[in-house]
Amino acid sequence: MRDQAEPLDFRTLPADDNVNDYAFCVALDGRWFLQKGKMIAYYGQIEFHGVGHGPLDALIASSFHSPLHAADWVVAEGSGKMLLADRAFDVNSYDLTDGNLTVRSGNLLAFEPSLSLKQSIIPGFLTLVGTGKFVAASNGEVHFVEPPVRVDPQALVGWADCPSPCHHYDHAYLRGFLGGVRSLTGIGGASGEEHQFEFTGEGTVLVQSTETMLADRETGNVPGQAGVPGGQQGQAGPGFQRSYG
Amino acid sequence: MPFKELSAKLVEAQLVPGQRMFSQRGAMVAYKGEVSFTPNIQGGQGGFGSMIGRRVAGEATPLMTVEGRGTVMFGHGGHHVEVIELDGETLCVEADRLLAFDGSLQQGTMFLGKEGGVMGMVRGQMTGQGLFTTTLQGKGGAAVMAHGGIIRLPITPDHPVHVDPQAYVAHHGDVRNRLSSALSWRDMVGRGSGEAFQLELSGNGAVFVQASEEKL
Repeated sequence: MRDQAEPLDFRTLPADDNVNDYAFCVALDGRWFLQKGKMIAYYGQIEFHGVGHGPLDALIASSFHSPLHAADWVVAEGSGKMLLADRAFDVNSYDLTDGNLTVRSGNLLAFEPSLSLKQSIIPGFLTLVGTGKFVAASNGEVHFVEPPVRVDPQALVGWADCPSPCHHYDHAYLRGFLGGVRSLTGIGGASGEEHQFEFTGEGTVLVQSTETMLADRETGNVPGQAGVPGGQQGQAGPGFQRSYG
Repeated sequence: MPFKELSAKLVEAQLVPGQRMFSQRGAMVAYKGEVSFTPNIQGGQGGFGSMIGRRVAGEATPLMTVEGRGTVMFGHGGHHVEVIELDGETLCVEADRLLAFDGSLQQGTMFLGKEGGVMGMVRGQMTGQGLFTTTLQGKGGAAVMAHGGIIRLPITPDHPVHVDPQAYVAHHGDVRNRLSSALSWRDMVGRGSGEAFQLELSGNGAVFVQASEEKL
């Protein structure tokens, strides 16, 4: 982190690094994808085009494979320094080397076009594939946990190289008589931890410091098609729509 | 020492069979191993009587019992977390600031009004803490939440500490507290300094304050 006493200008701003916990500076020379509204300031000559803008067709074809998110994303083109931030949440950059990482769609701020963005088959998540840098926000610092681990659904930011998560329900809680009475009537309350996402196998799981989520972006619907998770109205897994107190 | 601070906002607890832990409901972020989370109707230790006591005192917070073998990460609401280790002394803290604590600690409620009589009651009203506070006593750790970072200020007999009631988080040790007021006619006409009330803590121990005047 930089000494805050030193004024930040075009030369002293870091290149592709965090300015502080909550802002990230991209040294732009070419193009970057970023989510709408996440740019807070820039130096230099930068133009912002909506995804779907004519001249960018080739770029979109190679690295943006999520037509349903197109309305939420813009391409920054030019050279200069661009500051990114998101509602004072913690911001971090990640480097992928010929890898894949899946992240909650609301948490992703920006990514280099050398990566390609795809919709995960888990509704509400996006997968980045390839080599390059991307920037994501989280409520509190991100912690990297090795599987096997079970994560509160709201605290999950994303995962890399892992097989997809599965649901884990607290068996004893659901089975026991008292647990049944509680879940049916609400008397006695629920612990709020009856359900987690379970990760097994090799990889890394990204967990934020709290179970308070960033407001999700409207992720749109995937094509209504047999065999596509969430593809049919009302057919998405109940776990993604349930809210926990 | 079961609690380890992973970052300013996240703590990790080690669980071994036979030792339980209490935590605020829904504060688990991730866990490894075989751990069970059971909602605790009574809101903590003791029997039915303690539960009634806590309800009456307004110190009943939804808690869950955490048992099993493994490691659990706790965090809540993006608040800063501080682990306070107790070695036989008593910690006074508001129940809703408790993120998690060792099952080995004795939980109780304390009536604040008895300290300082009428002024004690005024203190409870002014600080928004109510007339009661939760106490934890024994050997073990407690993870306490605050808005903004937590600063520990030691209290010695010849150096009492004055804190803003809104920034007060918790205190431990043999400490007396008193609300000192500096009310003047200026406050009555709305031209006060905004610091008319302070909490004066004297004795032997420490007070924890948060770097914010916001309530949780």
